[in-house]
Parts: sequence; structure tokens; C-alpha cells
Amino acid sequence: MISCIEIALRQELKDAEASALQKKAGSYFGIQIEDARCVNMVTIESDLSSDQLEKVKDQILTNPVTQVSSLTPLDIEFDWCIWIGFRPGVKDNPGATAVEAVKDLLGKEFGLNEGIYTSKRYCLKGKSLTEQDAEKMAHELLSNSIIQQFKIFSSDQWDKDLGANVKPPKVVLDHTPCFDVVSIDSDAQLAQISDERNLALNPRDIPVIREYFLDESVLNARKEVGLSKPTDIELEYISQARSDHCNHNTFQGIFYYKDKSANKEAVENSLFKTYIQEPTLALKDKKDWVVSVLWDNAGVGEFDGDNNYVITAETHNSPSNMEAYGGAITGIVGVYRDPMGTGLGSKLFMGSYGYCVGDIHYDGPLNPPLHPRRLLDGVIEGVKDGGNKSGVPTTFGHTLFNPGYMGKSLVFVTALGIMPRIVNEKPSHKKKTSAGELIIMSGGRVGKDGIHGVTASSESYSENTPAGHVQIGDPYTQKKMHDFLLICRDEGLIPFITDNGGGGLSSSIGESAMISNGCVVWLDKVPLKYEGLDMWEIWVSESQERMTIAVKPKHLDRFMELSKEHEVESTVIGEYTNTGKLHIKYKEETCAYVDMDLLEKGFPSWEFDATWIHPEDRGLFEPVLSTPSNYNSLMLKMLSQPNICSKEWIIRQYDHEVQGGSVIKPLVGVKHNIPSDASVTRPVLESNKGIAFSQSLLPWYSKIDAYHMMTCVIDESVRRLISVGGRMDHIGGVDNFCWPNISFDEKKNPDGKFKAAQLVRACRALKDACMEYEIPLLSGKDSMYVDGHLEGEFGERMKVSALETVQFSAVSVIEDITKCVSMDPKIASDLVYVIGTTANELGASEYYDLFDKTGLNVPKVHFDRFRTTYKAMEKAISSELVASCHSICRGGLGVHLCLLAMAGGLGLEVDISKVALDKDKGELANDTVLFSESTGRFIVTVSQENKDVFEKLFKGMPLSLIGTVTDDHSNLKLIGMEGQEIVNLSIEALEAAFTKPFGDYI
Amino acid sequence: MKKVNALILTGFGLNCDNETALAFELAGANSHRIHINSLISGNTHLEDFHILALGGGFSWGDDHGAGVIQALKLKNHLGEKLLSFVANGKLVIGICNGFQTLVNLGLLPGLNNDYTTRSISVTYNDCGNFRDQWVHLAADKQSPCVFTKDMDLADFPVRHGEGKFIADQDIVNQLIANNQVVFRYADKEGNPANSAFPLNPNGSVDDIAGICDPTGRIFGLMPHPEAYNHYTNHPDWTRQKETLKRQGKSLNDTMTIGIKLFKNAVDYIESSFF
Repeated sequence: MISCIEIALRQELKDAEASALQKKAGSYFGIQIEDARCVNMVTIESDLSSDQLEKVKDQILTNPVTQVSSLTPLDIEFDWCIWIGFRPGVKDNPGATAVEAVKDLLGKEFGLNEGIYTSKRYCLKGKSLTEQDAEKMAHELLSNSIIQQFKIFSSDQWDKDLGANVKPPKVVLDHTPCFDVVSIDSDAQLAQISDERNLALNPRDIPVIREYFLDESVLNARKEVGLSKPTDIELEYISQARSDHCNHNTFQGIFYYKDKSANKEAVENSLFKTYIQEPTLALKDKKDWVVSVLWDNAGVGEFDGDNNYVITAETHNSPSNMEAYGGAITGIVGVYRDPMGTGLGSKLFMGSYGYCVGDIHYDGPLNPPLHPRRLLDGVIEGVKDGGNKSGVPTTFGHTLFNPGYMGKSLVFVTALGIMPRIVNEKPSHKKKTSAGELIIMSGGRVGKDGIHGVTASSESYSENTPAGHVQIGDPYTQKKMHDFLLICRDEGLIPFITDNGGGGLSSSIGESAMISNGCVVWLDKVPLKYEGLDMWEIWVSESQERMTIAVKPKHLDRFMELSKEHEVESTVIGEYTNTGKLHIKYKEETCAYVDMDLLEKGFPSWEFDATWIHPEDRGLFEPVLSTPSNYNSLMLKMLSQPNICSKEWIIRQYDHEVQGGSVIKPLVGVKHNIPSDASVTRPVLESNKGIAFSQSLLPWYSKIDAYHMMTCVIDESVRRLISVGGRMDHIGGVDNFCWPNISFDEKKNPDGKFKAAQLVRACRALKDACMEYEIPLLSGKDSMYVDGHLEGEFGERMKVSALETVQFSAVSVIEDITKCVSMDPKIASDLVYVIGTTANELGASEYYDLFDKTGLNVPKVHFDRFRTTYKAMEKAISSELVASCHSICRGGLGVHLCLLAMAGGLGLEVDISKVALDKDKGELANDTVLFSESTGRFIVTVSQENKDVFEKLFKGMPLSLIGTVTDDHSNLKLIGMEGQEIVNLSIEALEAAFTKPFGDYI
Repeated sequence: MKKVNALILTGFGLNCDNETALAFELAGANSHRIHINSLISGNTHLEDFHILALGGGFSWGDDHGAGVIQALKLKNHLGEKLLSFVANGKLVIGICNGFQTLVNLGLLPGLNNDYTTRSISVTYNDCGNFRDQWVHLAADKQSPCVFTKDMDLADFPVRHGEGKFIADQDIVNQLIANNQVVFRYADKEGNPANSAFPLNPNGSVDDIAGICDPTGRIFGLMPHPEAYNHYTNHPDWTRQKETLKRQGKSLNDTMTIGIKLFKNAVDYIESSFF
């Protein structure tokens, strides 16, 4: 029986969701809605009596104070009604919790044909509303056809008894699971099969695969288990393992690097080995605090004698570009499984986000899958639900706009965990599987969702990209699992744990079985969301919220007991062995049987041609620009630039306080509205130690040279840490490369060689900077296909590629959090200093961007000098000599003085002619001093009393006393290079400009 | 010496249990983080404890109204035990999701000795979104609330999407008359926010941030006192520290007002039970 319960807010109460919709329809499309109401709908397919239905309606679904509800359609007036529901198979989180609640309330079990499904309808009133308006809203605001369906009703079409007439969107496959045997008579045949089945096998891998399966000893061994030619599940396993996403073929590839301008050539045999692994291992030897790097789901560093921290960062770009909310929530919930699956498992204590999107006001001819505005709305909300409901504070983040990201937007998510150094007398960062241990899958169930996600993210987005890999993460299920697994860990029940992410069981079991050297998997035991999945689908499905755990048979009962108490589903699905074979069975039948060392069978490296052309030879030059005369207006304009202005509305949607360890928050200053340099968190509340965390992104500099982009990004993230009280002797890094396609193709990717050279240069810079600042790379990931082919106005498709982008995350352990500083000036009469040298480095700056220019003089990092300064700053902060410290970042000194003034709520009087300058390229004009993005610089405020000690500490370093903090007025007053006042702006004026683009967003 | 035992509920998406447990420890209690199912199964007995804390989080994802399913589960399996816990003079605090749960259970507002009727709703913020910010709170000094004894002003963070307090006007009037409105959103000086956003972050009627039952032993509030467990939690601490430093003073490691709130509860139990 199918019943539908409708719930709505009482008419007299404000419907905030509907109001937000009204506002968006107006501001996005100019659609005027006079009144809107939302109706929540719960469709129940189950044999419940009418008494039971009433009980469910009244006790679970209706708030007697605020809501009305009915088993028949609610009579709410409208001109147009839009109904939105999920497509079959899409994760319906509220539907799942409703099932839990009904089971508990009625003491009833739900069979396979029973279920609860949620949907919504929006009742819109407006005299001028048309069907087209309703359709536009349904399409472009309320639903995404990848995961949702909609119906539109006019008031005339509405049947008051039938209502929206919702059918349960359940999946019925009516299919008997099977596996196929694949012919491999020729390379061409296998290549064709690879295309047909979306295996994305690399053509160069195909001969190796065929050679293996045609080998006589292999054939003989397979014969004994009833197999001959490869099965589809085996090829899927190889495809997953060999994908760029899992195997990092690009970073393991061979690059033939040619410097065209200098006429030099070099061969890079593996960017990963040379520029990531080698420096990190060298630094690991030098730094006692580096605990575990380069092999596990995340890196591990020492927090204090008793605890270690865990860190990793991911991107979730491709799915977010098709379904922003689903992609982003899956991304954040997914990255949170990495620390849970690192070592014996860690407790999450913080996360961060980073978004790179196109212009949210774009109204040009290109037609991306989701408009940047809608995409940003969706990813913000996805990370909000995923992060907040995980109970993990989101303490840092950034949002960046650039047209290049319209082809593919970037969604970065970062996770940090903490774990006791020793668990049950064993070091927590070590784990292994052993023959005889059971393979357990805990958490969610397996469905068709997320199949081929890994191979799809290893491709550029095109009209043929399969949409089936978009999912919706379920933080609730995962949080239950998180709590449960930590208890199991502490009881010593877990010798090995890893998460199911990209590649599903194929990756998690495939990789963990390498340690014991074999496994038997019983696929028919894997709990499914619905019947009818083929074996290969169960094996590679990326259904979320699942961990793979090894448990010794003697611990099974206790493990299952705890699992039951926490209402987490756990199932034994196989056993680790030492047979050297990956053996997959379905009931009694073998459907895969390959050697564990198959993936080491001499698969060829990928190869790339890389051609570097110096910026001058690419025709870049400094723009011809005279110095402006109206600095007041210019300053306000700079503050209103999308990449500078306030994004408080995003930051406040994220809980950054949960777990009670917040020390330096993402927003600081007297009004708590200015972004902080870094965040500081206490992961262990009993301790006064803290974790400082910062991130940087400066993709604009790649327009000139990705080498300097990389060094500047690392320098900025380090400087941000130092600004709050971080330590130079303990900085861990995480690199996230997001690069456009680097494989040269005359037609499809004519500048591929140049982008490949940029990648080589960025990797060289990564090593240089890490060695200079002694930053071991605790973790890192790459996402190599940041391109999109967007439909234009004449039906053509235009390739849009992102700038070569690296997000660098830096982490430091703070010895004593009570010595941390924030960036806001605090006391009138304090002195304002700039530390560092300002050079003519406006290349690819925010200032040039204002005029749509690039220039040539990209900022450069002078490691030797900076290191000395940073150590001095560390000393100044730990000696409590400074009242505030702030790193000068995007926008330069001018913009950052504005931020300082707003944060302090006090006047600032500054003479910029006092700033230490590097005049190598000639005299510097006001605009250069104000907006140059030279690295290595801080602004600090210091009490008059500490002046001498402070200056002595920086002796021999570029230190300029440029002004004072005052309470005589609350303006920012700047004296220019020629001695006259060039800026005099009130804090109110600065704030108005700073909040202008997004100030009314909440 | 006998110690006060506090039970902090865990499981099903709750997430402030660790810091709430720490807050009770700092206040001198023994904290026990207990899974809801352990209470239901009888592995743990509610009567062994003096204080029950329902903390923040997203129980059952808050999918059908914040705290609704948790309240239902507690009512169905532990309803009588909860009522006798309260009747025995013990303390209950609900913070954020816990507050939402208490009103859905009917333990609040407890007017006319009725501890089972849902007469209050804590619903979607007027601003239309989840919001994390610190708020100023003004306490009703005449309130019977055990937890806020001798409190005047307090700053705590709010972090919720559903924190707007709604009730019929006559219920609100009774709450005010009984001094059950424990905390109101206010400005820095303690003047009522008068519904002005963001001082009142969610549009709560009469700026209500927290209420107690007529006995003052059941307390629910949206802001998070446990998140102010150390002076460095306060958003202005670096400024406070620098200002004091110039006066030759220092920001001492004294008990925060957040911990004081839990200490009041522990003191109450010690004086009435030991």
C-alpha cells in the first residue's frame, strides 16, 4: 500500500525556506513570486494500518506547535505548484531515518518491497507567473535532472484528492546477477570491449593484460577454479587499479622536458619519486615528529608524546560539477573517512573547504552543466550538511573566482584526525592484514551508485560522461560508524582498517590483501540496497559510508556486539589469505582469480612531452599603466573584488566551534568579520598544545610561471601559520594538484606540452620549497583533468581549461596556545611595522586583474632571507612581543591595511614611503607599493614599550616602522611616496565596500 | 569522597559529547559518555546518575525536525525512567539538539506539572540558514534555574539551523511570569536584542535563548556553554589578553562562565544529595 503524508508550516509562521526561494527566483531570474510555501511529502510503501499511519504522521513527522499535516493533500493555494522528488536509487537520507524511526515506533521490520521516500512541493503564488517560469525554477533552481525529477501543476490541473500523486522511486532491476567472460583474441578486441564497457583501459596496458591472461601457467591455475579467459570483474579490478585516480600514472610517468627558450632538455622519470617521495623521506629522517608518510590513507605527525595527528586533503571536482550538493557532501564525508582509515583509525577533529568556481554573475553564451552561481550554492550547502552533521568543525576555507573554472570547478576538502600514539600497547600508525583474519564491511550498503567514478574522474568532462557516478553522502550513517569504530579500536579489535572510496571494494580489498598476500571474497554476502546487481558492480560500486576492516575470528563476536549497539551494519564478506591470489566467489562459483602481483607485471609508464617557453618568449610584458590619482576609489574597488571581498556568509554556515577546541577562529577582529590568517584548534582539550592550519591558492601566477605559483603558495601558507604562532621546525604540508590535461594532442589539446612543462616546473618548485622550509609532505593528491567542453550559443562546444592550480595546506603544532595572536590591531598608540621587502612584483596580481592585465613580474620567494625573518617572527610571537600579526597576501599591502583597519576598529595612520623597497627594477610608485604581491611580508602592531626589544630582534632584516594605531579617529589614512595623503577612508566606508558583493547573503 | 555522576548521551549523530563530558569534569563531576542504546538495553541505569546531559549534534540527521526522533526514542523506551529521574530531584540539561529534544519530549516547559506535552517548538532560523556565531546572553537573576545561579551576562556560541523559539503567547507569558526564561539574546551590555539580527541570531520570540522548568532543575538552551571551556575559546580573547597586559594584568586561567554553568549543577547535587 502506498500512502503519502504532507506536512507544512502553519500558515501564520514564516516559511524561511520558501522566502529564500522567493528571493533567489527574483535575484537570479527576475521572477516575481508574491507568496511561496513548501510542503514536505513522505511517501510510505508499507502495509500500515490507518492507526499506524496516523501515529507516524503525528509522532514522527509533525511538530504540533508549528506544523499541520494530512494523509491527503494539504489545501494550500497556489498559481503554480512544483513537485521535486529523487530519481530511483538516489540516496534519500531523510527517507532512511524515517524508516529507522518507524521501525522503532511501531516495532516493525521493513521488507525488501517496503520503503519510505521523501519529496517536496512548492506552492507559488504570483499574478505574472507563467509555466515557463515554473519550469525554469524547477530546472535551474530546485532540481537537478541527474538525481531528481519534477512535475509542474497549474491550479487548474491540480486534483485535490490525488495531489502530486507520488510513486515510490524504488529501484527494481529484475535481473539475475551474473558475470561475463571476455574475449581477448587481439589487442583491438580488448580495446573495443574497454570502450563498450567504459573500462577506460590505457591502450598501452592492453598487451600486458592480454599477455597475463594468455600465459600458460596462469591459464592452468585458472582452469582449476573453473575459469579460462578473463571475466568482466577481473578487468574491472585492473581498470580501477590502473586508473590515474588510483595509480597516479601522471605523477609516475616519464616527462621529456624541453626548455625551448634556453634550448635545454631533461628527462623526468617520475615526478612523484623525485619531487615528493625523495624530499619527504629525507625530511622524515631529519624530523622526529614525522610518524608515517606516503603509504596510508593520510599522513601522521606527532602532536604530543601521547597523541598523533592525521591529515589529508582531497578534491571532488567531477561529481560536484554535475550535482553540486551531492558531489560536495560526498566529498567532505568521503575525505573524513581517510583519517578514520589511517593507522588503526583516528578521531576527526577538524576540516576545511576550498572552492574554485567561475564568475557567479556570468551571463555569456557558454552553457556549463551547472551555472557557477548554482554550483557554488550547491557545494556550500553540501559541505555544510556533510561537515556539520559529521560533528567536525570546519575551521578554515577559501573561495576563489576565475573564468577558467567554468569548464570544471574545484572542490577541495581537507580532514584532520587525532589518535593516541599507542593503542592497546601497539603503535597506532601501523596496521596490517594477516591470513586467517576476516574481511568485514561496515557502514552503508552497496547499490549501483558511484559505479565508474574513478575512471570518470580520470577524464575530461564531456557530453558523454556517465552521470551515474553522482552520489549523496550520508554523514549520519558515517558518524554512527565513526563512533563505533573508535571504540573497537580502543578495545584492540582492529588490526587493519581502510575506507571504501574510489574503486570501492576493488580498491580497499585489492590493496589490503596485498599485505597478507591474498584473499577470498564472498560477494553474495555483501549487503545490497536492492537485488539484481552483477558481480562486477558489487565489486567496484562506490556506494558511500563504508569501511573495510580486518578482524580476527576470536574478536568477531565482540565486534558484532558493538556494531549492533551502535546500529551500524557490519558483515563478514571474506577472509584474508596468503595464497598469492585475489579470489572472488559468488555463492560457490569463482568469478575472479588473479595473482596478487598482477599489478606489478610491468605495466608501461605513461609518457609526456613537456615544452617550456619563458614568459617573455610567450609575449608577456608589463602593462603600460600610469599611477592612478584617485586612491580612495581604487582602494574601495579593490576591496569589492570577488576574490578579496567578505565571504562571511559562507564561513558562518559552517560550525567551526564543535568539539570545543577553537582558539583562533576563521573570522577575527573586533566585529568577528575579517578572515584569519590561519586557524588554531585544540584537538586534545586537556592540553594547551594546538594545531595551526592554513591553506593557500594562487593560480593566477601560473599565467606567468607555475614554478613561482608553487613557491608563492607554499610561502604564503607557511607565513600564515607563522602569523598565528606556528613553528618553523614543525610544518607539515599537503599538496593538491589540479591541472588541465597535459597529454598533447594536435587537435584536442594543442597546448598540452606547455601544461606538462608547467607541471614539471611546479613539482620542481614543490621540492625546492619543501627542502628550503623543511616541510615533509604528509599527504597529497592530484586531479589531472580540469577541463570542460562547454556548449556555446551556436551548438558548438568550447574547451575551457582551468589555470594550473595547487592548493597547499600547512599544519604546525603550537606549543602553547595562550601565546597565539590574531591579526587585528588592538590598542591605540601601538606601532605598525611591515616586515619584508616590497618589490615591483605586480605580475598576475589582483591589481592587474582589475584591468584584465597579466604582466610579467611574478612574485618570487627568497627562501634564505625569509627563513631568517620567519624564525624571528616566531620568536617575537612566542615572547609575546607583538599585539597582532598578519601576512600580506593577495591584493598587497594596501588591501591588507584595509583589513587591518576593519579588524581593529581603530584608526591607522601609515606612511607608505617608509616601506622597505627593492628598487632593482627602478623606483616604485604608490600603486606598486600598495598592490605589489611580493612574498615574505607581514604587518604587525607592537606596543611602544616593546619597540626596542622588537626592533632588536629583527636587526639586519627588512623592518619598517610605517605608522601607528590611533583612537583619535577611525579612519585608514595613508601618506604616499611623495609625502601627501593619498587615502583617507572611514572604517564604515571600507566595510561597505568589503561587504558589497555578498553582504546581504546569509 | 562521593562524586557527582553526570551521564552524557552519545550515539545516533550526537556530537558534542566529548567536550560536554570535559566540561562536567572541569566542574568537578565524573563524566560518563553513554550510548542511548546502552540505557535502553539496561546495560546502564539512569538512576545511577545525578545529572543527565543531552548535548548538541544532529540526532538522526535532524531529518524530521531537530531532536524529534531522539525525543520519540527516549519517550518510547525510557519515558517513565526519565520522569522519575526528574521527580527524584535530579538535573537535566539539554544543549542545542538536546534542548530541541527536551521540548519535543515535553520535559520543557513543564508548566502545571505537565512533563509530557509538546507546547514549544524550536524551529528554523529566520535568517534561513545554519549559523555559527557568538552571542551575548542576559540571565534572569530571579530564575529558579539551578545552572545559572549568580549569573548575569554570558557569551557562548550558537551553531544551529533550527534555534528559533516559538510558543503561544500565553505560554510565553507564563514562562516570563515564572522566571523560566533563563537566557535572552542581548547586546554586550545585557540589554535585550529586541529581535535585531544578528544579536538575536534566529528570530526567537522575545529573544528567548534558553528556558527551565518551574523547578529550575531542567534546563534547555540553544547556545553552547561547553564550547567555552577555556578562555581561548572566546572570540575576543587575544584582545582581552592584550588589553589586560597593558594594565599589568594577565588573562588568568580562571574558570570560564561556560564551566561555571556546569559547576552550579555539580554544586547543587553536592548540596542536595551528599
